Amino acid sequence: MEMLINITVNGLATGMLIFLLAAGLTLIFGLMDVLNFAHGALFLWGAYSGIWAYTTSGSFFIGMIVAIVTCGILGFLLERFIIKPVYGNHIQQILITLGAMLVLSELVKVVWGPNIIQARAPEWLRGSWEIGDVFLIKYRIFIILVGLLVFVSLLFLLNRTKLGLIVRAGVMDKEMVQSLGINIRKVFLFVFILGSGMAGLGGMLFGPYSGVIYAELGLEYGILAFIVVVIGGMGSVLGSMIAALLVGILGSYAAYFLPEIALAVNFLLMLFILIFKPSGIMGMKEALK
Amino acid sequence: MSWLGLSKFKLTLTVILIGLLLLPFVSDSRTALIMLTKIFIFAIFAMSYDLLLGYTGIVSFGHAMFFGIGAYTVAISLKAFGPSIPVVLLAVVITIIFTGIVSFLVGLLTLRLKAHFFAMLTLAVSALFLVVAEKWRSLTMGNDGFTFQIPDLLRDRVSFYIVALIFMVVVFLLLERFTQSPMGKVLQAIRENESRVESLGYRVMHYKITANVIAGIVAGLAGILYAMSLRFVNTAVFTVELTLDALLITIIGGVGTLFGAIVGAALIEYTRHALMDLASVHWIFERWIILLGTVFILVVMFFPKGIVGTTKYWWTKRKMSKVKQSKTTTKG
Repeated sequence: MEMLINITVNGLATGMLIFLLAAGLTLIFGLMDVLNFAHGALFLWGAYSGIWAYTTSGSFFIGMIVAIVTCGILGFLLERFIIKPVYGNHIQQILITLGAMLVLSELVKVVWGPNIIQARAPEWLRGSWEIGDVFLIKYRIFIILVGLLVFVSLLFLLNRTKLGLIVRAGVMDKEMVQSLGINIRKVFLFVFILGSGMAGLGGMLFGPYSGVIYAELGLEYGILAFIVVVIGGMGSVLGSMIAALLVGILGSYAAYFLPEIALAVNFLLMLFILIFKPSGIMGMKEALK
Repeated sequence: MSWLGLSKFKLTLTVILIGLLLLPFVSDSRTALIMLTKIFIFAIFAMSYDLLLGYTGIVSFGHAMFFGIGAYTVAISLKAFGPSIPVVLLAVVITIIFTGIVSFLVGLLTLRLKAHFFAMLTLAVSALFLVVAEKWRSLTMGNDGFTFQIPDLLRDRVSFYIVALIFMVVVFLLLERFTQSPMGKVLQAIRENESRVESLGYRVMHYKITANVIAGIVAGLAGILYAMSLRFVNTAVFTVELTLDALLITIIGGVGTLFGAIVGAALIEYTRHALMDLASVHWIFERWIILLGTVFILVVMFFPKGIVGTTKYWWTKRKMSKVKQSKTTTKG
């Protein structure tokens, strides 16, 4: 029983990290219909810049801010110079953002060196609480709390503010929103920066969670983010939350009980869901032509 | 006199081909020979990818899976049955059957989905192959891979070079013929406007699956050559990076032009080779992927047709203006 609780908490923490990564992408994907394969690179930059700022300043909080700001700026640059020229063409989007991902992942090696970098949680988040036989690792609880906080504020932003209304309407019908006189391009840019910042935060939090960061994380987690968006259904924040937790918990159970297939679990899950519900768990838009 | 221009082009190609065939007897540079062999193999792989991306408008992220199937099939057969030509031929037959079945099933399951979903699903299936190759240690030796012997005839670098070159030319001619056939024309129509082709009464799925199967088989054959050129195989043949290589080669050479795949493969392999040499001169060249990525972005932005596509475009434009000129002069 204690074991199951530990595994579940692990899975929840991983799931929350994946959610931070995927939530931005699902908005970008759902609203702007942009296949941004450079999203994983933003996660990577969040991890490196955040950990760097944290180790030089000594403050975990400053690290988080730096990660978010760095990725926000990178997101702005990406949208303006890489993605804007290829709106509306999926194949070109895939190609150009892949190029951007290659460049950004490699630039990380130029700035911080090609070696694996160690990352540790701050003093106040080390260790664990013991409740009976259950060990709750503080840092994982912290990640779950941050993820929940971001999730709730995102839902508030989307469902309770005028901007959220516009974004949601844009996901449903872009042309209609535009014809009402709203500058959808500005909304696009805002969503892109928001999504990039969240990916950055996810990357920063990932560092101490795994203990090490390395430049190949970009591609790895970029693909994972896409899997989650596809499973959750594009444009749905709730869907990506459910999908992220599903991927996290399933992965953590598989790693314990069936380590042989742990690597393939995410892909099997996606295969299974897409075959039976091609639009994803909460997807509204048709995936079929 | 447009036929003269065309034949001049074909003449140039023939001369280059003969030059390439004679090269190993003129020069004895092993590195050049190995690099050219690698170029031929990647050109075959990229041509098969271009059949999907360029001619049918399908983005696949799992093309390496067919390449990997071919590589592992030949490696395992040669290791199990000993190095002889019949074993290689057996591996070819098994690869054709196996890649044919896999590409058919994957196509059946996933081609009804929209572009990005298809891309993700092919990625998923190829990741499953990667996991199998990593975990089925008794057969594949896991991540480390294994070495194997190849038949004496192919052990000679020169004869292997010629086999690869001839194979590339044959694949090029066959695929060129295929894309010019009525079926190839339907594929290109699907790329341009799928729903219109469907409303004309064509069964789009049937055509897409056929393209997928042909591309899969050709990629598998490229994988056989690749494994034999290295005499070693490991799970790298199943990775996304390999699919990205094919993508890159196709894009830079020119989407929808088979010849572009050859030019792209030559350019990228050569650049990679040259930049790796430069790495000993200055550390920044170790990060040559930055340059590669930048080129990727610039090509998509400014030369969406790639090298061969853009050249072709200029060529036709020039010819058209010449035709126009002569027409106006005869009228006047």
